[in-house]
Amino acid sequence: MTPRHMPIEAAQSLRYMTLLNTSRSLVGLTPKPEDCKDIARMIMELAVYEKMPDQVKISHKELERDGFGPNPFYQCLVAEVPEDHKSKDGHTKVGYALFFYTYSTWKGRTVYMEDLYVMPEYRGKGIGKALMATVAKVAKEQHCVRLQFSVLDWNKPSLDFYLAKGAEDLTAKEGWHFLRFHGIALDNLALEAP
Amino acid sequence: MANFILRKAEPKDVSDILRLIKELAKFEEMEDQVILTEKDLLEDGFGDHPFYHCIVAEVPKQHQSVDGHVIIGFAMYYFTYDPWIGKLLYLEDFYVMKEFRGFGIGSEILKKLSQTAVRTRCSSMHFIVAEWNKPSIEFYKRRGASDLSLEEGWRLFKIDKQNLLKMTNEE
Repeated sequence: MTPRHMPIEAAQSLRYMTLLNTSRSLVGLTPKPEDCKDIARMIMELAVYEKMPDQVKISHKELERDGFGPNPFYQCLVAEVPEDHKSKDGHTKVGYALFFYTYSTWKGRTVYMEDLYVMPEYRGKGIGKALMATVAKVAKEQHCVRLQFSVLDWNKPSLDFYLAKGAEDLTAKEGWHFLRFHGIALDNLALEAP
Repeated sequence: MANFILRKAEPKDVSDILRLIKELAKFEEMEDQVILTEKDLLEDGFGDHPFYHCIVAEVPKQHQSVDGHVIIGFAMYYFTYDPWIGKLLYLEDFYVMKEFRGFGIGSEILKKLSQTAVRTRCSSMHFIVAEWNKPSIEFYKRRGASDLSLEEGWRLFKIDKQNLLKMTNEE
């Protein structure tokens, strides 16, 4: 089974199932807002790994509101294992990739992969690789020419994972830095109107 | 001379937008990397599913540039998503022609963008700047921007089409 073409207009969450004891994979389109509770759980797990859990301000409610509807702000792939392979604390949704479409004034349509995460007890089984390959597949179907994402400079396991797949570090190569206007800085800027 | 308006870009503006994109790319020393065409900009910005939004700065005809242009600045942005804080406004390109700088046009564009961000419930406005681009970095820092690459260690990565295709075939 191959993923059906996912129209951009439809707000869908794609569920990706990996059978652990074979390399066969099943993909289905199952838009379920209740997946958001598991996605929120894993977002927090990833934030803890990135040493910034206090920066997580949204819950499954915002994820539901913003990911399902006529104008989704993100797309999400979820890796699910069968019930008999569930995690120590009883979860079957064990990984996710959250991404959205962006635009390069030089090259056109691009995909930005915001989060890629697999629970520690499910690593080393090709799930992360499969999630990313599916993001690449979706990108290809939507005629995107590039996949971008960011990694923390101390995160050696992730850096190695991506470099092995042909990723290039644009911060090192071309000197790009991420900047932001956040919270009060953003409000102040908006208030500067004459 | 400070007479200008800011407005939403329209389909008829794509030719000017592409011209300004190339000017900015030239400034960033990467002009040959622009492969986008007017047709792409039209389809991608003004079709059923816009991939970007654009504001343009326009001066009256009597103040046109030396080579006869009235569209003299632009900002291209889109909405992204942070799983920790929700909606964000991402500023992709932001440029004012050299001869029109110093009149507050850039500041006004940035202000308008931040108003859009606040109005659309975005908690933050993100963008990238090349580390050698000191004038731009100072412009943003003066206005309260923080450098996440320096403060938190984020590095930007890309995987190009060739390697993307390789990944999809390997599955």
